[in-house]
Amino acid sequence: MEIMNGLGMAFALLGAAISALLAGIGSAVGVGMAGEAAAGVVTEDPQKFGKVLILQLLPGTQGIYGLLIAFITLSQIGVLGGGGDAISLAEGILYFVACLPMGFVGLWSAKRQARAAVSGIALVAKRPDQMGKAIIFAAMVETYAILALLISILSIVGIPALGL
Amino acid sequence: MAVLPMSRVNIFGLLKDRKKILETLQRLGVIDVKPFDGGDGFEKIETAVFQARFQKAKAECEQALEILDRYSPEEKSMFSSLMGLERMSSAEYESRIKRRDEILGKASELVRLEKEISDLKAEAINLSSNIEALGPWKALDISMRFSGTKKTSAFLGTFSESYDESALNLYFAESCEKKNALELKENVHFEIVSKSENQTCVMVVCLKELANRCEEILRYMGLVAPVVNVDGKPAEKITEFEKRIKKANEQAEEDKGKILKLSAFRGELKFIVDYFDMRIDKYQVIERLGHSKRVFGLTGYLPKSDTENLAESLTGEVDVAVEFTDADGDDVPVALKNNGFAAPLEGVLETFSLPGRGEVDPTSAMAVFYYFLFGLMLSDAAYGFLMVLLCGFALWKFPRMKQGMKKSLKMFLYCGISTTFWGVMFGGYFGDAIQVIAKTFFDKEIVIRPLWFSPMDEPMRMLVFSLLVGIIHLFAGLGMKFYSLARTKQWKDAIYDVIFWYMLVGGAIVYLLSMQMFVDMASLNFILSPSAGKIAALVAVLGAIGIALTAGRSSKNPAKRLAKGLYELYGVTSYLSDILSYSRLLALGLATGVIANVFNKMGSMFGGGILGAIAFTIVFVVGHTLNIGINLLGAYVHTNRLQFVEFFGKFYDGGGEKYAPFRADTAYFEMENK
Repeated sequence: MEIMNGLGMAFALLGAAISALLAGIGSAVGVGMAGEAAAGVVTEDPQKFGKVLILQLLPGTQGIYGLLIAFITLSQIGVLGGGGDAISLAEGILYFVACLPMGFVGLWSAKRQARAAVSGIALVAKRPDQMGKAIIFAAMVETYAILALLISILSIVGIPALGL
Repeated sequence: MAVLPMSRVNIFGLLKDRKKILETLQRLGVIDVKPFDGGDGFEKIETAVFQARFQKAKAECEQALEILDRYSPEEKSMFSSLMGLERMSSAEYESRIKRRDEILGKASELVRLEKEISDLKAEAINLSSNIEALGPWKALDISMRFSGTKKTSAFLGTFSESYDESALNLYFAESCEKKNALELKENVHFEIVSKSENQTCVMVVCLKELANRCEEILRYMGLVAPVVNVDGKPAEKITEFEKRIKKANEQAEEDKGKILKLSAFRGELKFIVDYFDMRIDKYQVIERLGHSKRVFGLTGYLPKSDTENLAESLTGEVDVAVEFTDADGDDVPVALKNNGFAAPLEGVLETFSLPGRGEVDPTSAMAVFYYFLFGLMLSDAAYGFLMVLLCGFALWKFPRMKQGMKKSLKMFLYCGISTTFWGVMFGGYFGDAIQVIAKTFFDKEIVIRPLWFSPMDEPMRMLVFSLLVGIIHLFAGLGMKFYSLARTKQWKDAIYDVIFWYMLVGGAIVYLLSMQMFVDMASLNFILSPSAGKIAALVAVLGAIGIALTAGRSSKNPAKRLAKGLYELYGVTSYLSDILSYSRLLALGLATGVIANVFNKMGSMFGGGILGAIAFTIVFVVGHTLNIGINLLGAYVHTNRLQFVEFFGKFYDGGGEKYAPFRADTAYFEMENK
């Protein structure tokens, strides 16, 4: 039983790690891609720095959502702050599963959002007045990261109440 | 609260007054000039040549300013972008225009000096590389061009290996044997000028008649001519080059001094840039005028409220005919006028699109929701308070900042107020900083109760609230559509396109509220009676039938009409995704709070005491700055999205052209009218 409890904790921690890991990777790749494009624009016109910076930052939010999920999980299972009860194997697996949406959707949406942001940067380079629309195109992708975040949060917060 | 009513204006004046009239118009800055279409007798003239000339002069001044910035950077405060433009009286303006040619001369002078400096620098570099190349030949005390005496020939060259005299003689003898040139043996003299690890510089002397043969052997041995060959003794040349470098550097310094002296003209140069900008604008307007032999005609749009002022200013000065008509056409530009609460959002609306022909200005309706949603997403009282403080301070301290900047700051000020409000409602003050500080440093448990509830403890409640806000927002969008249809008395369309949707979506929601399963899922503490549910379902069905029958009314063919109607009815699914989209209010609100808590916790990990306090302060400042930055961006982007996609999607198309009056659009100075 001792081992089983340990295993539950391991699964929960794995979930937290995956959420921070995948979403973080996606955002790092995404912000990097957008940054390359942004730097290209700034070589031509340094005045556009502020505008392209905002577009570059857009794919960065997934990493933060991943961190958020990891953090909520860590504090729920008592790794942060301590004082948590032992976690059963079933509960650990549930935490693991709850973290998956944020991890995977975070990874993919950040990459795809980065491509929209890169195109948006190209748009702003030619027509700076269309900034608002460029932002919206990229922000549309983020919707799905937000939905994943929502499901992950609701699941994680709901798990203790199941009493497994 | 509205799109400004515009008037179309036609102005006719004598050609000799054109300059004066245009200058008056530029000063007033109210007419959006359009291409003149006066029919026969009026012709367009090309001004591209003039514009190009002005562009060139302006470019030279800008280049001169750049040079000045490189040599004596202007002292600018961090807030210079907030200061606004320097004012210039018209007397000053006139006197500066008179000195235009003088200042243009200064600009060319600056450009010339800069070029001279770079030439001198290039020369110095060239010379010093020559000096380096001559170094190994320093010991040679005859000219490098010395080719021999009456009977002998001499060559200079380097081997890329280190030889002493005997080794060289031996190598030469061997080479002669290999090449069958025995006659050369003993008849050639090597003088080693210098040698280093990997090169030997030599002077070779031989009898004149043997010169050709000797050169051949030497080439075979790997002798190469010196890189630099000067006419004179190398040592003397080196001294001469050094002198020239010194002189070039002195000259460059002197030129630099001259440039620094010319920096006194920075202000004048800036003025000339503005002056040419204004002239270029003016010539662009001239291209749009119609010209006959003695008369020119101008047409354009201006806000109705400015017509009287324009007529007065023009007719007082010269003979001119001005006529106003009501603006009516596709190219009427759009200017907005809103009260202080909504005006800051005109910029946001502009990034989407200005109202198209006949559309209502949605700024006021948008403003209420914009501030509300923004605050809900950021939702931290301390962050909001900081925003209010910073924006308020900047607005108070720099009243003359540019209009666009002012609007943005005002927008964030109002957003900050809303953020503070929601922060108090949800109990976030730098996240849970107060609780953490009290516990870590004073060992006290403090509980700060949110005024309403804490979304982190009750996420489902927050989700339901978010969706409710979404429904209200969407219904308000539909309401806007009703208003704009009703304004033009299209009552039927208002019922078909708005009321039926209200019935369908509203009825469906009320019906859901009477279902036990839904109420459990949303953890609501009330449920509607089954009879209310039945009525709601009936209303929804009636709405759906209405939509199916009427939404395709633009088609004449009944089958096609019904098919179209059903397709529109299918659009009800988009309401579902629209409403769910508001769940981002919960997600972003939580993101702010949780990240703030993470930083607080990280700070408190160093424990209490002085060191702990220092570490906490550092983590706190860095972390919360980061968090504000990220979440401010997030709140801004997603508030815009909810406005543009969900809200505007219900009623607003945009497509209007911005009102861009002909005026003094300058970069450095603001010209005063009188």
